[in-house]
Amino acid sequence: MKKRITILLCLLLAFSLIVVGCSNQETPSTENGEVAEEVEENEDFKAQITFSGSSTLAPVISAIATDFIEEYSAWNNVDSSFPEKDIIIYVSAGGSGAGAKAVVEGTSDFGMLSREIKDEEKEKIADMNAFKLGVDALTVSINPENPLHTIKDDLSSDEIRKIFSGEYKYWDEVDSSLPHEEIVVVIRDIGGGAHGVFQDAVMGDTQVREDAIQAPSMGALVAKIMENKNAIGYASFGMVNQNEGKLIPLKVDGIEPTKENIVNGSYKISRPLIVVKSGELTPSQQAFMDVIMSEKGSQIIEDMGYVPAN
Amino acid sequence: MLNIGEKLFKWIIKLLTFLSILLLAFIVIFIFNESFVFFKEVPIWKFIMGRSWNPLGPAENLSIFPIILGTIYVSIVGICISLPLGVGIAVILSTYTKDRVKSFIRGVIDVLAGIPSVVYGFIGLLVVVKFFEVRFSFAAGESVLAGGIVLSVMVLPFIVSTCAESMDKIYEEYSQASQALGVSKSYMIRNIILPASKRSIIASLVLALGRGMGETMATMMVIGNAPIMPKLFGKTQTIPSLIALEMGMAEVGSLHYHGLFAAGFVLMIMLLLVNVLIYFIKAKMDI
Repeated sequence: MKKRITILLCLLLAFSLIVVGCSNQETPSTENGEVAEEVEENEDFKAQITFSGSSTLAPVISAIATDFIEEYSAWNNVDSSFPEKDIIIYVSAGGSGAGAKAVVEGTSDFGMLSREIKDEEKEKIADMNAFKLGVDALTVSINPENPLHTIKDDLSSDEIRKIFSGEYKYWDEVDSSLPHEEIVVVIRDIGGGAHGVFQDAVMGDTQVREDAIQAPSMGALVAKIMENKNAIGYASFGMVNQNEGKLIPLKVDGIEPTKENIVNGSYKISRPLIVVKSGELTPSQQAFMDVIMSEKGSQIIEDMGYVPAN
Repeated sequence: MLNIGEKLFKWIIKLLTFLSILLLAFIVIFIFNESFVFFKEVPIWKFIMGRSWNPLGPAENLSIFPIILGTIYVSIVGICISLPLGVGIAVILSTYTKDRVKSFIRGVIDVLAGIPSVVYGFIGLLVVVKFFEVRFSFAAGESVLAGGIVLSVMVLPFIVSTCAESMDKIYEEYSQASQALGVSKSYMIRNIILPASKRSIIASLVLALGRGMGETMATMMVIGNAPIMPKLFGKTQTIPSLIALEMGMAEVGSLHYHGLFAAGFVLMIMLLLVNVLIYFIKAKMDI
């Protein structure tokens, strides 16, 4: 009995292969005239758009995509010339480097970067299209329980450099009225986008102290500052706005991290939010990109705590 | 007809088995291939024995000695905490408890193995790390010890199930004889069960070591990820956490990217050795 079932299964497998083979051959022969044209159009049309990259930008694009899908649901509602297909937008976060990698390797349509595009990456991406969505600033933030912000709400670049490089080990070295407690420096991973921005803007050639805590995400970094009263770290402007009052952003060289200062460039620790694509956009991708760049898209970017570019 | 079917079936099964072996080979070859680029630039002993890891600096700054030590240190701390606990639980389960209670407790402990590691990491971050900061006024609670405590809970089910299995067998084999001799249960545990299950305790230890060294998420959240020489109360970094932390940001094809693959290669070799060790201990174990 069992043997028979095995044979039956094997035959079924072989038969299904034949059927699959047939169907591929059959399709072109049944496509005639109008039907064939429509099918071709449908096949050309990409109903699915994929984003991958920066974990800072991913929630923003997700939010815009969710809005977009809720409003239109199928592509023919966006533009009547599009076929009736469900809108599918995938957003995956894996860091700016992964975003650039995905575009180079063609594993996703768009790459999200929360830093300037490196020259090597510009070379690798064939006819690159880049869209600047906005600016995110990194604020030097401390825990509200830290008395530093009541004494002075301003740190100079030099002081920040000394704190992060480990030259100041205790808070009372920054200001003598502060308690003699160890400074806990929280950073993102040293090779990453956010740290690159901070390194360029503040540290220069000075290295960050080796025993700094490397947080696996910006959320974790902010959480650490909110949890630990001796912590200092570069929280993103968006995160600080979302958690207002739970951590205190300080002025840098006398300039407060406000929207105006970030947009006009006087606040120096900032990074652009960019979406890149290799090659021309398909009509569907263009339609979605228009929404991102529209006023509504900018509003969502602002709601998430970043400063929209337009 | 029947014969042909039989043969066909045999071939399909063989093909599938071969595929799974091929899969492992592909992974090994892929990782070796990616890290080979790196080893051409930096000799392997320099990579393993060097003291600093800085992806922004030149190639000779990429080395993982402190990170290898951290990987082993965190696992060993975890095992030191959970081995006595686990062996104790296994002894109680196989000697003092009745069948129903036993299967209930075993079930509860097995559930521990099913909890996702992020959850452990999260609890570790909010409870263990916070505890060190509040109670012992550590500047930062992230430490080897915190990682070890979290890991000890995670490897406990592996230790318990490996030990309890062989202790059950030993207990059944000798319980009548020792009852007939009139020795107490604790005497039997001390002089028969524990010595006889020495091998399985070692096997569980090695299994837990392999599990601990490969753990990524939970340790990453509680050890601070600083590539310095590990101290019990200081921050550290493990190879899996290093890769998980930096792979997303590393530029494809850069030395940093290949360096991470090389670190993965080293970890794979370490785990392979551990697994070979388990194999040999298990092969000798069948009591």
